[in-house]
Amino acid sequence: MFGPLGATLAPYVQSSRTLSKWITPVAHWYANASGWRKYGFKYDDLLVEENPQVQRALGRLTPAEKFDRAYRLKRASQQSVLHAPLPQSQWTPESEDVRYLKPPVVDVMKEEAERFKWDNAIVERK
Amino acid sequence: MLAARASSRNVQRIARSFATVIDTTGVKVAAVDHNQPTSSVTVLVKAGSRFEPKEGVANALKNFAFKSTTGRSAIGTVRESELYGGVLYSTLGREHLALTAEFLREDAPYFVDVLSSFVTSAKFTRHEFEEYVAPLVASDTEAATHDPATRAIEVAHGLAFRNGLGQSLFAPEHNELTVADIKSYAASAFSKGNIAVIGTGIDPATLTGLVEKAFEKASSNSSPSAPASKYFGGETRLAGNGGPQTVFIGFGTTGAPSSELAALSAHLSPTPSVKWSKGLSPFSSLPEGTSVQPVYLPYSDATLFGLLEAGKAAVAALKAAAQGIKAEELKSAVAKAKFAAAANVDTREGLINALGSKIFGGAEASVESTLSSLDAVNAAAFSKAAASLLSAKPTYVTVGESSLPYADELGL
Repeated sequence: MFGPLGATLAPYVQSSRTLSKWITPVAHWYANASGWRKYGFKYDDLLVEENPQVQRALGRLTPAEKFDRAYRLKRASQQSVLHAPLPQSQWTPESEDVRYLKPPVVDVMKEEAERFKWDNAIVERK
Repeated sequence: MLAARASSRNVQRIARSFATVIDTTGVKVAAVDHNQPTSSVTVLVKAGSRFEPKEGVANALKNFAFKSTTGRSAIGTVRESELYGGVLYSTLGREHLALTAEFLREDAPYFVDVLSSFVTSAKFTRHEFEEYVAPLVASDTEAATHDPATRAIEVAHGLAFRNGLGQSLFAPEHNELTVADIKSYAASAFSKGNIAVIGTGIDPATLTGLVEKAFEKASSNSSPSAPASKYFGGETRLAGNGGPQTVFIGFGTTGAPSSELAALSAHLSPTPSVKWSKGLSPFSSLPEGTSVQPVYLPYSDATLFGLLEAGKAAVAALKAAAQGIKAEELKSAVAKAKFAAAANVDTREGLINALGSKIFGGAEASVESTLSSLDAVNAAAFSKAAASLLSAKPTYVTVGESSLPYADELGL
């Protein structure tokens, strides 16, 4: 629950048709209001990267993804210095705000869980 | 009656040389059972360096062995094999890639599954390549650069055969391998006609059954092919990275390996048969601290024969052999070569090598044919083989200081 991806209720909300119908518009409004898109970020750029799992996952991005990520971070820190969001033409459109870092983080966590399982396996003679 | 039956089966087993190749659903299977306590299964794929489309792909594929497949992750394969007490390894030759598992007899189903799942359903993920495989490829290359003998023989292959057999077993130091290259090479190489399974210490019927089930899903598309080998030869000098000063004089022939060259190699081999003896080889009179090592590397359609750490004495010995050989010298050389060929089959790796060279070709893979062809070697054919070697352009490689001799200084 307290992994690098944080706690989430999304799967529960998505599993219920009524709930997702009510909450999806609110979620979209909230994502836009949070303002990361105004600074050219994608949501996964905000993921806390100071832990071994995310570091490992970052190493698994393609060179193009790594370059784009570094570019977004630099551009956003420049805007932070200027105390101003980007011009609206450069805001991240919703279609581009994809979870590019989540799949490798999930993979790394699965591998860690498997290693833990093998490290603690109890062998029984059949 | 039971006893009679058992004894007749034993007779059959002795008569049946040592392995019959069975073709199950396109995959060739051969197994030998000498009732050893442990078994081994080798999946032999015609995916050696001579077939690789890009330098180093074969080496990378070798190092990719036993990584994650759709059914099992890399760590799962390792830990589960450890729990069974098995050993997994992969080796690369110029002709074949061999994936081997050694295990206790009763665990055959699991290990055949591990081997076949890599062949049929390996994932070839990019992160595994970057995190685990690329460092192994680099360390293979690094280790090879520090061994002058390996370097000399690698370069000699390049000079002798240029492409095909001339391609290196190792990746270049600065390579541009990507996981897509490896994936496409594996997809073309891992096809049914390209795979043979060799078992030792396992009943042929059991292995055939397991293989039939395991390789059902293997693809049967066309496999990579290499053009027939051609011998060129040439001379080159490399700077040494430490290690002994090395000179390699090689000669190549094309066509199926001949038993005359095996006899010549045995004739020149300075390894004595008895401790504290200097042996009967022409090199036994060399001064202390120097040695000459004959190198005999037979491939399916070419042979590289050479002398490592050679000098003037080596060239003289070769020329003498081409002039003619005494009957008793030939007799002892043939006996030595026969013993080497027969004793080779006693070890697991030797058996796999012996079978591997024959299994793709014919139905019968036996050591008897090798032995009988050695018996047929006569003095005339022997010196003719040596003379025809010398008549071609030599492959000459030095690794070390610039003071090492040039080929013409040695009388080549």
